[in-house]
Amino acid sequence: MANLQINQVRKTYGKAELETLKGIDISIDDGEFLILVGPSGCGKSTLMNMIAGLEEVSAGQILIDNQDVTHVAPKDRDIAMVFQSYALYPNMTVRQNIQFGLEIRKMPQQEIDAEVERVANLLQIDHLLDRKPSQLSGGQQQRVAMGRALSRRPKIYLFDEPLSNLDAKLRVEMRTEVKKLHQRLGTTIVYVTHDQIEAMTLADRIAVMKDGELLQLGTPKEVYETPANTFVAGFIGSPAMNFISCQVKKDDSGLYTELTNLDGKATRLPAPAYLNRYLGEQVILGLRPEQITHYIPHKAEDQMIAKGHYDVLVTEPTGPDVIVQVMANKQEISCRVDPEYTPTVGESVELMFDCNKAVYFDPHSEQRIQPENSPSQASAA
Amino acid sequence: MNNTAIENSNISKKPLQPGRWLIYATLLLFALIYLMPLVVMLLTSFKTSADIRGGNLMSLPTEWVFDGWSKAWGSACTGVNCEGIKGYFCNSIQMVVPAVLISTMIGAFNGYVLAKWKFRGSDLFFSLMLFGCFIPFQVILLPMAQSLGYLGLANTTAGLVTVHVIYGIAFTTMFFRNYYVSIPDELVKAAKLDGAGFFTIFFRILLPISKPIFMVCVIWQFTAIWNDFLFGVVYSAGDTQPMTVALNNLVNTSTGVKEYNVDMAAAIMAALPTLVVYVLAGKYFVRGLTAGVVKG
Repeated sequence: MANLQINQVRKTYGKAELETLKGIDISIDDGEFLILVGPSGCGKSTLMNMIAGLEEVSAGQILIDNQDVTHVAPKDRDIAMVFQSYALYPNMTVRQNIQFGLEIRKMPQQEIDAEVERVANLLQIDHLLDRKPSQLSGGQQQRVAMGRALSRRPKIYLFDEPLSNLDAKLRVEMRTEVKKLHQRLGTTIVYVTHDQIEAMTLADRIAVMKDGELLQLGTPKEVYETPANTFVAGFIGSPAMNFISCQVKKDDSGLYTELTNLDGKATRLPAPAYLNRYLGEQVILGLRPEQITHYIPHKAEDQMIAKGHYDVLVTEPTGPDVIVQVMANKQEISCRVDPEYTPTVGESVELMFDCNKAVYFDPHSEQRIQPENSPSQASAA
Repeated sequence: MNNTAIENSNISKKPLQPGRWLIYATLLLFALIYLMPLVVMLLTSFKTSADIRGGNLMSLPTEWVFDGWSKAWGSACTGVNCEGIKGYFCNSIQMVVPAVLISTMIGAFNGYVLAKWKFRGSDLFFSLMLFGCFIPFQVILLPMAQSLGYLGLANTTAGLVTVHVIYGIAFTTMFFRNYYVSIPDELVKAAKLDGAGFFTIFFRILLPISKPIFMVCVIWQFTAIWNDFLFGVVYSAGDTQPMTVALNNLVNTSTGVKEYNVDMAAAIMAALPTLVVYVLAGKYFVRGLTAGVVKG
């Protein structure tokens, strides 16, 4: 177990004009679970391969346990990795797969046997030890791949989209297993995924990447509630956050923004005082679907809550909630409504807008507008 | 559900339709045409000389004798000496076994490097190497003869082995490189992280899963080297000549009466080893050329 520091790491392939990674800075503590998330091609796998030592670092430094390992061979970094395709050695049994790394490190056979047994028990694969990988199901192969990584007790574990080859149900199960494993072992883990739900559920900290840049590094709560910009806000959370362009206005009770329904009736959404510098200008209002709900009486007294009538375009029942699409400011907006109140299409429903957690973005830079005196906890790049 | 399943299986057991009959008949006809020479060779090799002169090419021997076979093996004349082809058969074995194994191993190693340890220009290097597959034998005859002379390998089995290994590397490298390219890089990465080095990865991870392509290489190289005549006749003399050259000498030796039964027996013996290799390893040939994807 160890901490990991990535300082201004850059990567340029061959004669490519564009950098694949444009100066990444990440630092995580011992035992932290870091998730690198982003759309495909954002450089997250490249960054992971560089941590593993499988790809050259063009510029910058990588430190494990405060030791510079930027140019150290993969085998000397004391790192284990679980691959998307599992990469189990097809000619070896499960046991041989798990002990391969130990044999190469010349561990005495007795200790190897003990270690294989420990790992097999931990992952409940003891009954599979003498089978070949081709005789295992996808989930079992996944466990063996994790077992192979666990057996060496390395300083850092790297997971490269380990669950993306599993079917939906198994993926959720394995996700929980990974989390339990991390809680039990307390190891430092770097985990690459493009699945934002995996990122939210597993991570201690999430690094959102796009086009080789780190957009935000923060806890799941930070990334979800105070996204650095519209990309992060839209990428994390499902259904995605609503982005509504509107003007900042002012009356006696303070600042507000306006939503207009199809009949031209406006709803005033109270806005925080720090938007004062945008008074009279356009901003992008970010409201998550769960912040727009059916009418809840006991919340109606809240200062930051507004209500209004909107026509229903589409309803999508998900079970626990119904996602309702309405039209406001000539845009489609998703709301999360209790199934008890499932509206019919075309009906005009009273919706409640909770602006306590609303976020606002500058329409030009697409960066989040921050309260003036709060420290910029969000920006990382 | 069950009923339809039963009906379906009944359909496939229906009597053969006319179209099928036509296909089978055509296949049978062509099989017969292709097998004809072999049948004639076999029949002739078991006949006596008198039988051959008197009878029909296709007729069964009036008397089944093994004279032709024993003479071809032990006492037929190839040029001036009359000791049959057994010595040359052994020459061929001594040539083909090391040549096949060495060229296959070098090819496997080259393929491993070109597929999994790419270096600057490795793809260009591979493309250039592929030209080796297209160089005609005749072009290299003289320079190779000179080179073998310098190396002191002229007219030796070792010399022939050298020529065949060099000539085969282009093919074996191509086979192994293309096979290894289809094996996920993650396998090599995983091994690197496990602490395995260049040779460990090759011998413990990749070579054990190379059986199909190994068999392809062995069949390919064995057939090419065993059947080669040109290199055999140019780079060997007397005692070191391979089977193919001896067969030619045996058939062309023109003293006395032409003994077709001996010629045929010798020809079958010359063809037999490649046939045996095909029968033993043939199933890998098709599989090896199409396989390569390692799941998991």
